[in-house]
Amino acid sequence: MTLTLDAIRECLEGSVPSTIATCAQDGTPNVTYVSQVDYVDPQHVALSFQFFNKTRENILANPQATAVVAHPESAATYRLFLRYLRTESDGVLFQRMKAKLAGIASHSGMAGVFKLRGADIYRVLRIEAIPGPAVTTAGPRRNLLAALRATCARLNACGDLAALFDETLAALEEQFGIRHAMMLMLDEKQQRLYTVASRGYPASGVGSEIALGHGVIGVAAEHGAPIRIAHMTSEYAYGRTQRETTAAAGLADQLQREIPFPGLPEAHSQLAVPVLAAGRLAGVLYVESPEDRRYTYDDEDAMVAFAAQLGTSMQLLRQAEDAEDPAREPAAPQASAGAAVTVRRYVADDSVFIDDDYLIKGVAGAILWKLLSDHLRSGRADFTNRELRLDPSLHLPDVADNLEARLILLARRLAERCDFMAIEKTGRGRFRLKVGRPLKLVDMARPTAA
Amino acid sequence: MESSAAAASPLSAVQAQFIQGGVAMVVASSSAQRLPSQARAVGCSVSSDRRRVTMLLRRSQCAALLEDIARSRALAVVFCQPSTHRTLQIKARDAVAQPPASVDAAALSRQADGFHRELAPLGYSAEWTRALLGYAPDDLVAVSFTPLEIFSQTPGPRAGERVA
Repeated sequence: MTLTLDAIRECLEGSVPSTIATCAQDGTPNVTYVSQVDYVDPQHVALSFQFFNKTRENILANPQATAVVAHPESAATYRLFLRYLRTESDGVLFQRMKAKLAGIASHSGMAGVFKLRGADIYRVLRIEAIPGPAVTTAGPRRNLLAALRATCARLNACGDLAALFDETLAALEEQFGIRHAMMLMLDEKQQRLYTVASRGYPASGVGSEIALGHGVIGVAAEHGAPIRIAHMTSEYAYGRTQRETTAAAGLADQLQREIPFPGLPEAHSQLAVPVLAAGRLAGVLYVESPEDRRYTYDDEDAMVAFAAQLGTSMQLLRQAEDAEDPAREPAAPQASAGAAVTVRRYVADDSVFIDDDYLIKGVAGAILWKLLSDHLRSGRADFTNRELRLDPSLHLPDVADNLEARLILLARRLAERCDFMAIEKTGRGRFRLKVGRPLKLVDMARPTAA
Repeated sequence: MESSAAAASPLSAVQAQFIQGGVAMVVASSSAQRLPSQARAVGCSVSSDRRRVTMLLRRSQCAALLEDIARSRALAVVFCQPSTHRTLQIKARDAVAQPPASVDAAALSRQADGFHRELAPLGYSAEWTRALLGYAPDDLVAVSFTPLEIFSQTPGPRAGERVA
């Protein structure tokens, strides 16, 4: 049977360093270690190009090369016969390798030394198993196909987007054993992602944001490709995210507007997978682990297939929300009691504070402000998604507005931060605002340092 | 005599000790069509005057490499210490493959143990190292050569620099 690259992908995780042999024009052989032999597709691998050296000189003159790779558990080794095609120094593949190399470098004490200059793409002409003893391996820890099947069935049974997000994360834990995960949605206008659901953290972090291009989540979103790292690396860590992004935005005195990102303090394995709905980036599914090498190529495949199902489900539920349920009986007038609460809205970023506590900003903040204003003016409590879509004060994009996701975000922030206000879904495309205390609304023209 | 003979070898005493100390070792050559061949070695010994290096390989794993060496006599060997990334490449033009005169099983075992000590902190079991370096004595072939050029390949800005 002919060996395929897919069958030996575990050898391409970068755990065991590989060697590459090349040959100069005059016939002189050269052999060296290479940090990464990465799987591109069933016919191609990419080797990390980090230093200008003899290998580079040789492949440019004579594209024939052989690489030897070893399985990190069985020690089985394989010889790959390769032909150099080209070098990519930007784009999806480059970004994927750069992230992976950062993990490898940091794990092997070479952070700052290993720097990816390019991804050298080779066609795999032939693979040879090198005869020799091998260690018996335990096999995969679970059947990923079975997990994927069960997970997709669970998604199909979800009736609304909030349930879909929660079911996604519950299924990841129960079917895949992934205990730390979150779902982030894209805010196209702000070029940021915001967390709408998380699982496995002391604080949910709902509402926390990641800039496009920042860390594995931001890079996955920016390039529309899964990004996976097998070892802890400061280069892609989220520890200082909030402070840095705030400082960059020139708002260093307003840290209280940031919701801390919920991620693990020391994520060793990270995998971020873009979620597309109707062909557009809708968000990112992110999973992490305190273990090294927790996610393999197979896990990545499973997550990508799962994310495809998730994106389709999101799109179908979004369309279902557009078809509004008939209006129900209006809510009975709500009794509000207790001391009046001051709600401030800062126009500059639509941030909303309840007394002095930061709640939310951006589109979700603008939505809350509109609801509260209407409520105070007319006593209204029932609203429709459609009227929000048509309201110019919310500045929603014409397409892919993710309104439902923003309402989920708002409802969850209220549930976490405020015990006298809530947003409840009352049907497809309809929801109700509940307010239990007298409110005083104060519109702030400009943000000021607290 | 000893010192002048040693002076004639580009391989220093420190380097000789390094390559015999239980590091990763891979031998490469190439065909008339300039197709490279390579195979892992399980042992390395250096003559007392350091002018001759002998690598032990498993014949069953390196048919193409042996053919290439027989044809061209050119080879390159890379030695790498996993814990430090210290890496040397030695090139030669007079390599000869022949049945080993004798196999010093104790020396091979010492090198395998040394290699395992390097890999254990990275999470590899002794069984894994044994599988990687396991050999049948009658499968071994000795490839001997005189070091001609030595390059440092330790990752960093000086990688690839000729050191001797």
